[in-house]
Amino acid sequence: MAIKIQWADRLRLSLAVLAANTIAAMVRVLRLGAASVLPGTIASRIHPRALALLASQAQGGVVLIVGTNGKTTTSALLKTILERQEWRVAHNAAGANLENGLITALLANTSFTGKLNADSIILEVDENVLPKVLPQIQPQYILALNLFRDQLDRYGEVDIISQRWQKAIAPLPAATTIILNADDPTLGYLGQKLTQKVVFFGLNEPENYLDEIPHAVDSIYCPSCGHPLTYQGVYLSHLGDFHCPSCGFKRGDLAVNSSEWPQILIGLYNKYNTLAAGLTALEMGIAKPIILEAIKNFQAAFGRAEELEVAGKKVRIMLAKNPVGMNETIRTVNEINRDRPSPTTLMILNDRTPDGTDVSWIWDVDTEKLAAKGGTIVVSGDRVYDLALRLNYSQQPEHPFQLIVKEELSEAIATALEYTPPGQTLHILPTYSAMLEVRGLLSGRQIL
Amino acid sequence: MNPEKPQLTIGWLYPTLMSTYGDRGNVICLQQRAQWRGIEVAVIPLDQTASTAAFENIDLLVGGGAQDRQQEIVMRDLRGAKAEAIRHQIAGGTPGVFTCGAPQLLGHYYEPALGQRIEGLGLFDFVSKHPGPDARRCIGNVVFQLTASRLAADLTKTLGQPPIIIGFENHGGRTYLGEVEALGKVIKGYGNNGEDGMEGAFYGNAIATYSHGPILPKNPFLADWLIQTALTQKYQQSITLSPLDDTLAMQARTAMFKRLGFDGK
Repeated sequence: MAIKIQWADRLRLSLAVLAANTIAAMVRVLRLGAASVLPGTIASRIHPRALALLASQAQGGVVLIVGTNGKTTTSALLKTILERQEWRVAHNAAGANLENGLITALLANTSFTGKLNADSIILEVDENVLPKVLPQIQPQYILALNLFRDQLDRYGEVDIISQRWQKAIAPLPAATTIILNADDPTLGYLGQKLTQKVVFFGLNEPENYLDEIPHAVDSIYCPSCGHPLTYQGVYLSHLGDFHCPSCGFKRGDLAVNSSEWPQILIGLYNKYNTLAAGLTALEMGIAKPIILEAIKNFQAAFGRAEELEVAGKKVRIMLAKNPVGMNETIRTVNEINRDRPSPTTLMILNDRTPDGTDVSWIWDVDTEKLAAKGGTIVVSGDRVYDLALRLNYSQQPEHPFQLIVKEELSEAIATALEYTPPGQTLHILPTYSAMLEVRGLLSGRQIL
Repeated sequence: MNPEKPQLTIGWLYPTLMSTYGDRGNVICLQQRAQWRGIEVAVIPLDQTASTAAFENIDLLVGGGAQDRQQEIVMRDLRGAKAEAIRHQIAGGTPGVFTCGAPQLLGHYYEPALGQRIEGLGLFDFVSKHPGPDARRCIGNVVFQLTASRLAADLTKTLGQPPIIIGFENHGGRTYLGEVEALGKVIKGYGNNGEDGMEGAFYGNAIATYSHGPILPKNPFLADWLIQTALTQKYQQSITLSPLDDTLAMQARTAMFKRLGFDGK
C-alpha cells in the first residue's frame, strides 16, 4: 500500500515538514501553547497532500477511530496494545481530531526528509471530519464506537452523520475492515449498507441492563423502517440488544464474547472502549494474550477518568461533554459513592468552540440522579448560571442537597476540595475546554 | 374541580421523538414551578401509544424539536382523531409552548432539506421551508422582545417593562408567517427566517418559537403565564400564583445580556 512518492513531491513534503516542525519547536520553546494544531496548518498550506503522503507510509496500517464518546480513551488503549507488540505508533494524543490536528500528529513522527518513523498510525477523527479525510487517507481499519447527539450547533443530526459516513466509506477497497458497535442501531444499519468487511463488538451481560431507557436517546426507532425498536435490554443510552418487530432488523453477531473480557478504568462505557480496541487489535493480527496484558497495564488517557492527589485529597476528573457522556459519568460517580454519605461533585460548563456553543443539552441529562445522592454540588464555568439553574430544577423534596455557585474556577475547585470529606474522592465533571483548565490549575500551570 | 387543590395535566408531545435539543427542560420547568406552589402535576406523554382521550384531557401542551426523520414518524401518527383533538385544544385556548420542530408541524406544511413536503395540522397560519442541505443553519444565542398583543400586555403589567426573551436558536428550516400574529421582534439573532425580523407566532394561548435554551427556565415569567392561563382556563376563575425565588434565572440572563452587549431593558 505504500505509494511511491515522486521526488518533487518528496522535496515539497520535506519543506512542509521542516517548516512545520521548526515552528512547532519554537512555539514549545517560547511556551506559546501545546502546538497541537498549528504545524498541521502550516504543512498543509505548503503541501496540500501532506496528510495523504505521510499516512501512506505506515506499513502496519492506518486505523481511524470515530464516534461521539470514547475516542481518546480507545485510541490510547489501542496504542498501548500495539506498543506492547513493539510497533512504533503515530497517534494524535491530545484529542486534536480535526484535519490539521491529524497532520500535526504525523509530523511529530516524521524526519526532516519527510519519512514517517512509525509502523502504524492511530488517528481519532472528529465525526464531521471523517468524510473529508477519507479521500486522502486510505485506512485499513475504521473503528466506529457510537453515535450520540453532541454539539448539535456544529453537526446537526445523528442520522445525517451516519449517512455521510456511509457515502464516504463506500469507495474504499473491499479489504478495508470496519469495526462497529453492534449495540448501536445506527451503526448496525451502517454495517448492513457497507460492502467492506464488517466485524461487530458489543456486550452480552444482561446483569448490566438499565431499568429504563434514559431520556437522552437518539435512535430507539428502527433506522431501516422507522418502527419503534424492541430492546431485550439497554446498557446505556440507546445501546443494547435490540430488534425491529416490524422489518426484522436486529443487532449484528458479536465477534467477541464480552463476558470473557476484562476492562480498563471504571464505568460500563469503558467496557465498550476496551472491547473496541481489543477487537481492532485482533483484526490487526495481535495475539489475544498480548492484548489482555496491555489492558491490565493501561493507564488513564489524557484527562478522561483521571485520578490525582491534590492537597491530600483524591480528585477524579471525568470528562462530561454531552448528555450520554454526562449520564454515564453520573451513573459511575453514584456507584462509587453508593455507601458514602454527602459526596462532593464539581461540575463545570463551558460553551467555547470545542465544547459546543449550545448548552441546551444539560436539560437532557438526568442531573436529578446526581442531586438525589445529596451532599454538595459545586458549579462553575462560562455558563455557571445555566448549570446552576439546571441543578436548581433537579431538586426533589425527599433528597435535599447543597448547591454552591462559583463563577471563578479556582475558587470553585478550592471550595469543592474543602467540602470533600477526608478519605473521599472529589469528582470533577468538566466539558472539554473546562477539563483543560482544571488540569492546568491542578498541575499549577496552564497547558493551553 | 376544586381550585383550592389545583391540579395541572401537562401533555408532552412525542417525548422520545421530539426532544432533540433539551426541550424537556420546558416540561421540567413547568412541573417544578407548579409543584413548588403546591399544585399537583401529571405529565402525560402524547405519543403513538397514547389514546385519543389522553390527547383530549390536557390543560397545557408542550412540544419540542425533532430531527427530520423523527418528524415524519410523528406526522404519520398525528392524524385523524389525535390531530382533531390537538386542533380542538389549541383553538379552544389551551395554552402551549411549541419549539422548533413542533411549530413546523402545527403550520400548513414543512419542506425538509431532502425528501417530500410534510403536511402540518394547519393550525397556525404559517409555512416552513428548509432552503437545502447546504444552506447555513440559524444558530446562536437569540434575544427578542415579546410583541404578541395579549401576551405582551399581560407580561408588561407583571414585569413593569416589556418582556425580553432570551434563548438559543438552532434551525435549518425557515418559517414565514401568514395572517397569524408574530410572537416577538428579534433584537439579536435570526428569528423565523433571518429576513423579516420576526420571531415565532402566537395563536389562541399557544406559543410557537424557534427559541430553545430551553426557553422557559431562563424566562420564568413566561412559564408562569402558561401555568396561570392553564389554571384559569380549567377552573374558570382568576388564579394568582405565589412568587418564587428566580435569582439564578436572573443571573443567567444578566450574564448572557452582558456577553451580547445588551442591557436587557
